[in-house]
Amino acid sequence: MKEETTYDAIVIGSGMTGGWAAKELTEKGMKTLVLEAGRPIVPEQDYVEHVPAWEMKYRGLGDRGRQLVDQPIQRLCYACDEWSAKFFVSDTEHPYTQEAGKPFRWIRGRQVGGRSIMWGRQSYRWSDLDFEANLRDGIAVDWPIRYADLAPWYDRVEDFVGISGEALGLPQLPDSRFLPPMELNCAEKVVREAMATHFAGERVLTIGRCAILTRDHNGRAACHYCGPCERGCITRSYFSSVNATLPAAEKTGRMTLRPYSVVHSVGFDAQTRRATSVRVIDGKTRATLEFRARIIFLCASALESVRILFNSSTPEFPNGLGNSSGELGHNLMDHIKAGGADGTIPGNEDRIELGRRPNGIYVPRFRNVKTRQAGFLRGYGFQGGGSRDGWERGITQTGFGPGFKNSIRQPGPWKFTFYGFGECLPNHNNFVELDKEKVDAWGIPVLKIHCAWSENELALRKDMSISAAEMLAAAGARNIEPFTDDASPGLAIHEMGTARMGRDPKTSVLNAYNQLHEAKNLFISDGGAMTSSSCVNPSLTYMALTARACDHAVAEMKRGNL
Amino acid sequence: MDRREALRILATGAALQLAPGNLLAALREARALAGAQAAPRALNPHQYDTVKAMAEMILPRTDTPGATDIGAAGFIDVILSAWCDERERTGFLNGLADVDGRSQTLFARNFVECSAVQQSEILTALGEKMEQEGRVHDQGHSPESPPEPERGFYPMLRQLTLTAYYTSEAGATEELNFQIIPDRHEGCVQIRSGKQGQESQ
Repeated sequence: MKEETTYDAIVIGSGMTGGWAAKELTEKGMKTLVLEAGRPIVPEQDYVEHVPAWEMKYRGLGDRGRQLVDQPIQRLCYACDEWSAKFFVSDTEHPYTQEAGKPFRWIRGRQVGGRSIMWGRQSYRWSDLDFEANLRDGIAVDWPIRYADLAPWYDRVEDFVGISGEALGLPQLPDSRFLPPMELNCAEKVVREAMATHFAGERVLTIGRCAILTRDHNGRAACHYCGPCERGCITRSYFSSVNATLPAAEKTGRMTLRPYSVVHSVGFDAQTRRATSVRVIDGKTRATLEFRARIIFLCASALESVRILFNSSTPEFPNGLGNSSGELGHNLMDHIKAGGADGTIPGNEDRIELGRRPNGIYVPRFRNVKTRQAGFLRGYGFQGGGSRDGWERGITQTGFGPGFKNSIRQPGPWKFTFYGFGECLPNHNNFVELDKEKVDAWGIPVLKIHCAWSENELALRKDMSISAAEMLAAAGARNIEPFTDDASPGLAIHEMGTARMGRDPKTSVLNAYNQLHEAKNLFISDGGAMTSSSCVNPSLTYMALTARACDHAVAEMKRGNL
Repeated sequence: MDRREALRILATGAALQLAPGNLLAALREARALAGAQAAPRALNPHQYDTVKAMAEMILPRTDTPGATDIGAAGFIDVILSAWCDERERTGFLNGLADVDGRSQTLFARNFVECSAVQQSEILTALGEKMEQEGRVHDQGHSPESPPEPERGFYPMLRQLTLTAYYTSEAGATEELNFQIIPDRHEGCVQIRSGKQGQESQ
């Protein structure tokens, strides 16, 4: 049978945002083709969260020899371990280049589900503190939307995804529609109390808001606390496109999901000013294919979506489709992390935490919220949490024999870590371009990345270590160790901003509905769309933007505008 | 079948009999790799016996299995041959030779031929040297440094011995009471028995 090549809509990418585009478009009646560059995922075969360490060759230390050759960059992500390395790309098949002296760590997953399989699951709404930030600071361009535009779409996404957390009523971190929160452990309760006493509501500790179910929800089961979500979840208790949105799209009968479909470029009709087709290299046969649709969604990730547009150049758009502004590929942002502090929390030695809660604590941003902070713009939030030391502490002790073994059987002291994630400013000089010298395993030109932290981000990281140590001191912690560790851009895996939204086609790539100013039926609703970065984890906002853009796309199509 | 029963079956792998063949094959391969070891590759028989004796000194059989019972020396051989680079492997083997050097100097025999008291004396001395040389390297928080073997022979031996033991089935489940599927979370509860103390690990 000849393969169908014409659809109402094409979605490029099947991860966090591609899954949402697939669900929303098919549920609105669109016959939709979802193109995924990588392999299919079958949860019953591919998920490995219940395979214990003793069934792994290296007991969790990872296949280091192979990774040093094939995943030297991917292995820098904590989740790219002996179990989950298969969900991360081969760096040899998927190369990119970087400006000398400016390392950028690009962590990628190419399979159905993309990185939504291994994501960190932390889910936070943005506020107008974020949407108005560029306007207030006179930096880059203003967002063309405000919180009120997105709030109903956060509602819609959260009702489907299921976000557990605690309502706080903070203006800088609006509450989601929550499932019951997970419980803080002993050390976290101590720190929370101390912060309430010493920081008078300015700094608040709450349980992480996460896309993990604390009760059965929409046909998916409550979490069973096995711990390593990044290896998959056979009970579908955390949100991923494989666990939730793609099955919903499949249920409509209108989705065609095509794995091994490496998108090369998008075709553009200069007369109608519309994107007309998607050119694909079959990942297995290397055959060149072309698919057509009236609406095209780029959901391939901030960098891959831009790479596709660079490879879609025409005589009219020699520097990338829809790039008259010259901003395509620019303003690359990530979150700055690795500033914080550790300490030991005395007390509660006769108490433990039962189960492996796949979630930590959160301290919402408190810098530049009510009062102006000297030294830097914007702010940061803290993740982290408490736990009792485990058997690993015995490595650096000198004991041995039955007494040593018995002592390690008991849990160690309660430790606590605050780990900051800070906002990155949009900067035209952080950008990607096509490297015409180098191609990937499918012969497609790769990206060259130019990205470095600015003084503002480094100042945020320094302040993280100071304020974290203050909070630990207030909690009576011992052995407080502030840290500011090296972490190149990319390692927060929140890369965004390369096709920013804005009001003016001269200074932005996308309009307020994620449409390319210069090709209205072509949408980018992944991280590329972000005009600024906030300091909170971005996936929830990408999902809300995608749902909103899909609604607009179908409405415009029905009005005859697309 | 209730929820708890369903989760138990998922955890034990019983459900895998319903799963496609390639998963079963992969699991069988993993079990074979983790189970009966082929002949050691990085360690010669004498070195293997020395590692085995030292590991058992660190984590002996008590009311629960010890390092020998769970095959710690076999795991260490796998790590030395397939995980470590040449420099790390050589460093470890030189450190092992130094253990015999110490026992020859002090007791005129190899480590494996020493009495338990003599072996303890050597492990104590290695521990003191480890402390003098300062804290073995701290992974810290830097995402730029993925797992590396500890530097120095004795810290590395301890790292590998403890990893072998506490990630083995007996070490995890009998010693630490590890449950693959806890099916509950409670943030702050009184410890009821010694073993329960490690459930969250």
